[in-house]
Amino acid sequence: MANGSWKIARRGNAQLPLVIVLALAVVLVLVGKAQSGLFDSARARITDWMAPLLEDVRAPLDGAERWVGSIGEIFSVYSENLRLKEENARLKQWRNTSVVLEGRVRHYENLLHAVPDQKLHAALARVVGRANRPFLRTLILDAGVEDGVRPGQAVMDEKGMIGRLYLTGKRTSCLILLTDINSRVPVTVAPGNVQAILAGDNSAAPKLDLVLSTATVKAGDQVVSSGDGGLLPPGLPIGTVVQDGGGFRVALLADAGQSESVEILNFARVPETPPATSPLPAVAAGLPPLAPPPPAAAIPSSAAVQAALPPRPKLVMPAIPSTTTAAAGASPE
Amino acid sequence: MGTTERLYAPAFLRFFSALMPLLCGLAGVFLTNIPISFVGGAVPPPLLGLVPVYFWCLVRPDLMTPAAAFAIGMLEDVMSGSPPGVWTLGFVVAYAVVARQRDSFAGLAGIAAVLGFAAAALAACATATLAVAVLYSRLPPLGAVVAELAMTVAAYIPGAMAVSFVHHRLVGPLRSDF
Repeated sequence: MANGSWKIARRGNAQLPLVIVLALAVVLVLVGKAQSGLFDSARARITDWMAPLLEDVRAPLDGAERWVGSIGEIFSVYSENLRLKEENARLKQWRNTSVVLEGRVRHYENLLHAVPDQKLHAALARVVGRANRPFLRTLILDAGVEDGVRPGQAVMDEKGMIGRLYLTGKRTSCLILLTDINSRVPVTVAPGNVQAILAGDNSAAPKLDLVLSTATVKAGDQVVSSGDGGLLPPGLPIGTVVQDGGGFRVALLADAGQSESVEILNFARVPETPPATSPLPAVAAGLPPLAPPPPAAAIPSSAAVQAALPPRPKLVMPAIPSTTTAAAGASPE
Repeated sequence: MGTTERLYAPAFLRFFSALMPLLCGLAGVFLTNIPISFVGGAVPPPLLGLVPVYFWCLVRPDLMTPAAAFAIGMLEDVMSGSPPGVWTLGFVVAYAVVARQRDSFAGLAGIAAVLGFAAAALAACATATLAVAVLYSRLPPLGAVVAELAMTVAAYIPGAMAVSFVHHRLVGPLRSDF
C-alpha cells in the first residue's frame, strides 16, 4: 500500500509543472503591476457579494465591542466629565472667535470679488469591514457607485481625513488609509504654506516629505490637504507635525480604528462651459455688427509692408580701438 | 465503510474528494479575508489558506498540485487587496520548498511539525515581502509581515486538526483505491 501511495505521490510531485507554475506566478506579478484593474474589479464584485453578510455579522460584534468598551469607561466617568467641561468652555471661546473671523473673511471676499469656494457634496457611509493585512490596510464602506461615490474621493470622519477611496463596487467601496504604504497625498503645512507629500508606510504616523528641502516646518504645525492635482479638495484637516529624528511625521487627527460612520466628499469639478458665441454685447445693444475681416488675398505681403515703411536710420557702429582689435587678433595665437 | 465500497466509490464522489484539498484552501482564504476583527485590527489574520497547501503537499501531493497552490494564492491576492501576484508567488514558492524537502518535512512530529510549517510560512511571507519590495522599490515595514507569520504559525495546530479531520473522513475513504 505504502509503495503504491509513494509512486502516486512522486508522480504528483513532478518538477516540470512546478517550474511552469512558478514561472506563471512571476508573470502574474508583472502583469498585475501593469493591469491591476483586473484584480480590483474582481475584488469589488466579491466585496459587493459579501456586504450583506458583513453587515449581519458586524451588528452583534459592534454591540459587544461597545458594551466591553463601556465597562472600562465607568471608572473614568468623573475625570472624563471634568475634562469635557473644560474642553467645552474652551471650544465656546474658539467658536465666538471663528464666527467673527468668518464674517470678516466674507467681507474681504466681497470687497475683492473673490471666487467662492466650491461647495462639496457628501455621502454618509458606515464602516462594514476592516482589513489589516501586511501590504494593505483598508476599510470597507457600505456606499458604492449606486450612491454616487467614485474612486479617488476623500473620506472624512468627525475629526479629519482618514483616506480616499480606491475601489468602488455597486454597493460597497474600499478606502485606502492615509497610513497605508500605497498612500500619497499632497498637503500644505500651515503656517508658512509649505508644500509636502504625506507618505504612508503602514505606521500610525505617516511620513512628511517636503517638496522643497529648504522649507522649514516645526512640530505642532497644522497639516491640511493642498488640493494639488485637483483630486482632493484643499483645506481638509489631516493632522499635526511631529518630529521624528531628522525628519517629520504627522500625527493624524482621525482614528480609523474607531471610525464607524464616515463622510465621502464628492469633489468632482463641474466642467466650465465655453462662453456663448451669439448675441455679442454690441449686437444685443442694437449696434451694427463689425465688418468682417478682409479676405486673405487683400492683406499686403510682408515685403510690400516693408517697402511702404519709411527707411530705417542706419546704425553707426562706434570705432573699435586698435588695441582691442590687436588683442583679439592675437589671442588665438 | 468496507474496502469494497471504498474501491467502487462513485466517480463524482471521487472527483469531489479530489477537489477537497483545493476547496479547503479556498475556504481558508475566504475565512482569512472576512474583514472582521475580533481584536480590533491589532494583529493581521493568519494565512489559513497555507495550511491545506502544506498538509496535502506532504500527505497527498497528487491532490494538492502546484496549480492548486497557484489558485489558492491567487484568491488570496484578490481578496486581500495585496499587489497582484505576490501571495500567489509566495504560496507557490512555499509549495516548492515543501515539495523538494518532502521526506524531511513528512518525518516531523509534534513541535517539529509546527516548525516545519513555520519554515513553509516563512518562505511564503519572505517571498511576498521581496516581491512587494521589488514592485515598490523599497522594503515594506517588516513588523506587519512578522505579525502575519506569527499568527499563521499560531493557527497551524487548529488548522491542521481541521484539515486532518477532512482528510480522514472525506478524502481518505473516498480515494483509498489509489
